[in-house]
Amino acid sequence: MNIYLEQLPQQLINGLTLGGVYALIAIGYTMVYGILGMLNFAHGEIYMIGGFTGWWVLHLLTRNNQVIMNSALVISLMIVLAMAVSGLVGILTERFAYRPLRNAPRINLLLSALGVSIFLQNLVLTYQGAKVRVFHIASLIPQDLRVFHVGSTVFSFMRVMVISVTFLLMALLTVVIKKTKVGKAMRATAQDIEAATFMGIDVDRIVVVVFLIGSALGGAAGTMVGLLFTQVDYYVGFQAGLKGFTAAVLGGIGSIYGAMLGGILLGLAESLAVTFLPSAYKDVVAFTILIIILIIRPQGLMGEKIPEKV
Amino acid sequence: MKKSTIILTSMLLVLLLAGFGYSADVKKGIHVGNAGAFTGDAAAPCMEIYNSAQIAVDEWNARGGIQGVKVKQIMGDDAMDPAQGVNVAHKFVADKLMYGVIGPPMSHIAQATMKIYGAADLACITTAASKPELTEQGYRHFFRVNARNDAHGWNCALFMKKFLHAKRVAIVNEKTAYNVNMAKETIAGLKKLGITDILQETIVGGAKDYSAVLTKVKAFKPDVLFFVATTAPDQAIGVRQARELGIKAVFFGTEGARDKKDFIAAAEGAAEGAYVYHFAPDIYAIAEAAGYVKKYESTYGVLSGFGPPAYEAMNILLTAIDRAAADGDITRKEVVDQLHAIHNYKGILGFPVSFDKKGDLEGGATYFFKVVGNDFKQVAVMTGK
Repeated sequence: MNIYLEQLPQQLINGLTLGGVYALIAIGYTMVYGILGMLNFAHGEIYMIGGFTGWWVLHLLTRNNQVIMNSALVISLMIVLAMAVSGLVGILTERFAYRPLRNAPRINLLLSALGVSIFLQNLVLTYQGAKVRVFHIASLIPQDLRVFHVGSTVFSFMRVMVISVTFLLMALLTVVIKKTKVGKAMRATAQDIEAATFMGIDVDRIVVVVFLIGSALGGAAGTMVGLLFTQVDYYVGFQAGLKGFTAAVLGGIGSIYGAMLGGILLGLAESLAVTFLPSAYKDVVAFTILIIILIIRPQGLMGEKIPEKV
Repeated sequence: MKKSTIILTSMLLVLLLAGFGYSADVKKGIHVGNAGAFTGDAAAPCMEIYNSAQIAVDEWNARGGIQGVKVKQIMGDDAMDPAQGVNVAHKFVADKLMYGVIGPPMSHIAQATMKIYGAADLACITTAASKPELTEQGYRHFFRVNARNDAHGWNCALFMKKFLHAKRVAIVNEKTAYNVNMAKETIAGLKKLGITDILQETIVGGAKDYSAVLTKVKAFKPDVLFFVATTAPDQAIGVRQARELGIKAVFFGTEGARDKKDFIAAAEGAAEGAYVYHFAPDIYAIAEAAGYVKKYESTYGVLSGFGPPAYEAMNILLTAIDRAAADGDITRKEVVDQLHAIHNYKGILGFPVSFDKKGDLEGGATYFFKVVGNDFKQVAVMTGK
């Protein structure tokens, strides 16, 4: 038993980092679903593009394996620019691939999303190549600051940063949704898109804002994973998108807080599953939990039962 | 001529063609295929294989080709996906001018395409697929210039026991045919050598985060962490996250890790002192290889170790095609027969290449390297003893 207890704090840290990243991706899925009722399968690719943007920023600010600016500034620039580029790509996909189909059957939107996903993946493959890009982060953080120990638990600077930024972004999003006019309009649109239009809400604008925020958070996740796990390639969006989508369903698709909770639970479940079972069962455990929760609560942990509209 | 005679004759003709294979005048052209994952995580080693084989083709063509015919190499990209590998195989088999294939370099693709190439008698020489079962199924067309997993597995176990003096070993392997087998053979070898404190865990390649599994490894407190993953980027993440978590064990990586850029440089210092094994020796130390190394590095950059066997394999394949075409006429079956007749071929690998009855490399050896600075230093060779 001791061998398990010894790992527990470390696995919690591992799970929390991974879970935070899943949560950021899940928010993008859930926000779009909440308003348009569509699964944006291109969201994983938006995350990947965020990762590539971060890599380019770091690459362009590095000379002879040394960053040419203050590290905090470089990291901030990476995250901010990744959010900007991913947000922009999100808006463009909405404008050109989804808006023309807004009133078409849902299945058309879904196909369009799959198409966008394949398009973006191949676009990056064509212009960036298939090779894995490595984030050279050694010069970002001095050797003695890279890790610190509490007992036998190791905290790495990057993990702490990722966890903090993730929670900061989630808190910001909560404030935007609860306290601002745009947030109110978003909630209204999610509740009933037609009624929102009657109340004078510019629904098109709200949809753009939703894609901007969701995609920007996905881009932030992409860059932070790059900093944390030090690699990005054109294919990372697939697995990340799948996990983000799972987290969104787990939390109750359409519910933003559900996405946050779902992401963190999924990350923790994966890490803890490895602790107690052979690691081959990692995904089995994660998805078994998903199935059980969906049997007990089909609407997800924090999802609301939507009454049939008559 | 009666109608029935015509039908009968044409049927006989079809039977003849089907029964005896397609025989052609060499002058129509000679194609050789190269099947591999030219996109995706393994693109770098596969492109190295392709480019090295191309150097061999260019050299043959510069010498006048085969019977005056210039050889053309054709790329077939399977993107590490067995379904796409099958498509490539069908495409190659349908090409009537194709007389041999280099690859596929991955065991699971080689397995998926075995029957297709086999039914067409199209010779395949893999340069990296090492799953033992591949040559245990009675096919005559399949050869390898690399040693089998069971040879590597046993040699790696020997290396851990004799060179690293391991007592507790953690094995983390990716869930693909090649890696699962490698882990299985190594564990069998370790147990035979009396090392029974073994922890085996698995990962999904390309996931980029192995910290949960490595945290478990840390709690096991091994002397050696044997990290069995296909690609150098994954190996780099493995060693990096192991060191970040404070795992003190010797890091021992597999073939894919022998890559200066994607393993040593990508790990940013974490790979220092790590060991890797490889099926090919230090190519820079072999005088016969100097010409090839110079040609490769002046055009494509640094070699990782996947290139030399591919250059050798293509040369062996073209030698067999050349012999099969000596009478001006060539069939795929003749090429296969000529490959079986290859004996003590002296190329650039530093040992004479012969194939046994199954198509396996005779007397295959496993080479071990240590990461010192920005390079790999060969520290040991194990030959099953």
